[in-house]
Amino acid sequence: MNAEIIGLIFGMAIVTFIPRFVPMAFFSRWVIPEKVKMGLEYIPVAILSAIVFPILFFDGEGTFGIQPRLLLSAIPVFAFAWKIKSLWGSVILGMLIYWGLGFII
Amino acid sequence: MDNGHFREGAKAALPIVLGYLPVGMAFGVLAQKAGLSAFEAGSMSLLVYAGASQFIAVEMISKGAIWFPIVLTTFFINLRHLLMSSTLSLSFNKNSLRTLGLLSAQLTDESFAVAMSDTSKISNRPRYLLGLQMTSQLAWISGSVGGAFFGSLIDHRGYGLPFALPALFICLLVLQIKSPNHFWMMVIAGISSLFFKWAFSGNWYILLATLLALGIGMIKTEGGRQEAVGKRQNIKTKDSGGKE
Repeated sequence: MNAEIIGLIFGMAIVTFIPRFVPMAFFSRWVIPEKVKMGLEYIPVAILSAIVFPILFFDGEGTFGIQPRLLLSAIPVFAFAWKIKSLWGSVILGMLIYWGLGFII
Repeated sequence: MDNGHFREGAKAALPIVLGYLPVGMAFGVLAQKAGLSAFEAGSMSLLVYAGASQFIAVEMISKGAIWFPIVLTTFFINLRHLLMSSTLSLSFNKNSLRTLGLLSAQLTDESFAVAMSDTSKISNRPRYLLGLQMTSQLAWISGSVGGAFFGSLIDHRGYGLPFALPALFICLLVLQIKSPNHFWMMVIAGISSLFFKWAFSGNWYILLATLLALGIGMIKTEGGRQEAVGKRQNIKTKDSGGKE
């Protein structure tokens, strides 16, 4: 067991619990302002983009560049996810393409 | 107090269980690949229980991030629970803080969606929601632990596994794009994250890009609103001008 990981898990647990608990427990009459609602709506798309793009454009050593194998795997997954909206299907398809491209590239 | 409510809720969780088991397994496999034990992966699913943030944590751990940016990113991505929690508070106004604590700790997008599909079933029936959520979380934890065991049996580099997490993030991202505004958020956050990662060391680029994109989004919607108000006023003055 790794103390740093356990600490991390507790930290994540606390910051996740607070926004789940506080409105339910104390703000029964609290109406969230429209502007805040909109901001909350946009956070996941912003965070996920900030994770996905660097994965596709940086190599393992952290150098910026075009990575054909990653990009060629990512494009069909984008299209598939857009059309089919299946999480599990996207993962399987992505792995298959990435694995197949390993023989070519 | 009625155990029938609990069972009814547990039954309503079935579609969630079918979704959580395989995705939980994927989490377990990837967590194991990032160096977490089955116990640690299971603990995260028990104590944090928020899918997207758990996958992000695994990605950041595998890139060697220190704990602080991970916790901060977790906080931001899970802030959206504020909306669900405040909506549910309307259905649970006669319950003790202990009950509410238990109910809110297991709140997820999926269980919220099922609960809200028929609000008459949850209205001051905590045991129904408890049954729904406990069954869902049990599937998530079992999947995670099972996946972590299974992960130790398969080869790290084999079967396109390095692309599993990127593919999952791509799908989660695509599912979030619900309007042109969401699309532009993706463009701004995506491009600026490339710059921030290039410019700064560590994992701060995720938060920097997120905050920049949110800031620009706020200014733009504010500007758009003022423009719209301005146009309306113009029309009004024109109209009144015509009348005079």
